Amino acid sequence: MSSVVSLSSVRREYTLGTNTTVALDDVTLDIAAGEFVAIIGPSGSGKSTMMNLIGCLDRPTRGLVSVAGYDVADLDDDALTSLRSQAIGFVFQQFQLLPRTSALDNVATPLLYQGVKQREARQRAEEILTMLGLSDRLDNDRTQLSGGQQQRVAIARALVTNPALVLADEPTGALDSTTGRQVMDLLKDLNRAGRTVVVITHDANVANYADRQIHLLDGRISSDQRTKVTA
Amino acid sequence: MNLFASFNLAISRIMATKTRSILTMLGIVIGVASLVALMSVAQGATSGISNALSGLGAKQITVSGTSATGLVEDDVTALSMLPYVESTYSQVSGQGTASTGKVDVSLSLVGVSPNYASMALPKIAVGSFLPSSLPMQASRDVVLSAVAANDLNIKVEQIGQIIYINGQPFQLVGVLNDANGFGARGIAYVTQDAARKIFAQTPYVSSITLQSTTETDVAAVTTEADTLLRGRYGLSATDSAQFMVTSQTSLLSTLSTVQNTLKLMLGGIASISLIVGGIGIMNIMLVSVRERTREIGVRRAIGARQRQILVQFLIEAVVLSVLGGFIGLVLGELAAYFVAKAGGWAFTISAGTVGLALGFSALVGIVFGVVPARTASKLQPVEALRFE
Repeated sequence: MSSVVSLSSVRREYTLGTNTTVALDDVTLDIAAGEFVAIIGPSGSGKSTMMNLIGCLDRPTRGLVSVAGYDVADLDDDALTSLRSQAIGFVFQQFQLLPRTSALDNVATPLLYQGVKQREARQRAEEILTMLGLSDRLDNDRTQLSGGQQQRVAIARALVTNPALVLADEPTGALDSTTGRQVMDLLKDLNRAGRTVVVITHDANVANYADRQIHLLDGRISSDQRTKVTA
Repeated sequence: MNLFASFNLAISRIMATKTRSILTMLGIVIGVASLVALMSVAQGATSGISNALSGLGAKQITVSGTSATGLVEDDVTALSMLPYVESTYSQVSGQGTASTGKVDVSLSLVGVSPNYASMALPKIAVGSFLPSSLPMQASRDVVLSAVAANDLNIKVEQIGQIIYINGQPFQLVGVLNDANGFGARGIAYVTQDAARKIFAQTPYVSSITLQSTTETDVAAVTTEADTLLRGRYGLSATDSAQFMVTSQTSLLSTLSTVQNTLKLMLGGIASISLIVGGIGIMNIMLVSVRERTREIGVRRAIGARQRQILVQFLIEAVVLSVLGGFIGLVLGELAAYFVAKAGGWAFTISAGTVGLALGFSALVGIVFGVVPARTASKLQPVEALRFE
């Protein structure tokens, strides 16, 4: 099985003035296509840094990060953006829908940035939203949607470009437990349909949906367990 | 992201922050409005004044005495002998009073020589103008300007009756139409001979008007007339003289100098308000970039390139300033319309003014929008997403 994300001896330092903090150190990890991975750790463990690196939002200080076969060190900002746009679908904790923008246009936006014509982008956005049961919410903006609905729109937005990987950062963090379960069930369904899903969380219940749990502690991987055997 | 989508997004942003957007636009609105009003008024006034002047014939040169004894009858004869001088008239003027016996008014008393009627073309409302044949110049006829007639409360049936000019009886033969400035002030026109007797200033004249054969001769005649008179009074070319030779051409050029100064001054005010307006836009766009840092982060995460963010914010700045420019254009034209109505000249909207107004506001938007747009596009996605 080909690997979607591959990290090899990755180190990420942040320098603030004369202080250097190591956020991730010597991390090696491979995520294969079709996996459902949870990256778990308390705050300060390096989760966010991990998400930024996997999500092509950041580059490592040392080591190799490759996403969808591209070494991010080789890419300039435009190329990295283009890789992010094609390979990664982001789902954020606070949903992060664009303000004063309808659900439909929120989902169409990633396609517009790719240069897809507006009409086609809206058509594809509508298909995905309908698939996720939001066909009656197309024209609503974020103030007219519940948390669960917002997160489903966000998931639709992540899926619309047909990315190799859906990267969810605390996807249930702003939801009540029932709605949270529904969102996790949806991610599970997407994974069953063949989508690679990576969830970043501090919540063991969320992590339990995954087939593989990677624990981070103080910037290093403390354990990497497959809870279910994947084919 | 195509331009149309960016444009729509900019409009929705501006609508979402209406009060703030309007306040921001104010500088541009004022700048463009003053620019437009100034240009339209200047154009309208220029064409209005040149129309009024060319109606009087651009071929005429006026020699006016700077003192009551500056020019004499013989000067008129000498000037009329100059080459390219077609005809001449002279006038004697001063303060006078007119009385119907019931009403007294003070007015300007102007005594005109025979050619006045054919050269200055006064418009008669009622009756006739003064006789122009020589023997009749001694007559005691008087013509009143519309204002003077009105002040004296003259009725149509009073034409032909006697009124008193400086206490002496004159026959009222006509009243002038209030056009081309002839009737605008209180003036009583009498023959030159009659006026001289009243003012007791034979052989002096107040001004002499020459008409050149063609418009192209005006400059030559102006110079010749000045040289001739200086010769007659023994003055060198640099001495200060008791007369002044002017033509409409020189009047027009003085007028255009005044207008250019005015344009420059008002143009300066307009540019300063445009610059201040531009700084306002830059300021609000920088605030907007800061407020929307997270949104920019999300947009970068879901695939917006730096360039796409830059264009988005630049379009927003341009839309904001062009919208302000458009409002300013409308207000400026409105002001120009009322000024034109008050000034009595035709109101026109010129394509040049519209283009300049919108062009300038777009330019201001681009120039002052670049810095905030660059700031937005250079934000690091990771930091932008983390921004609280």
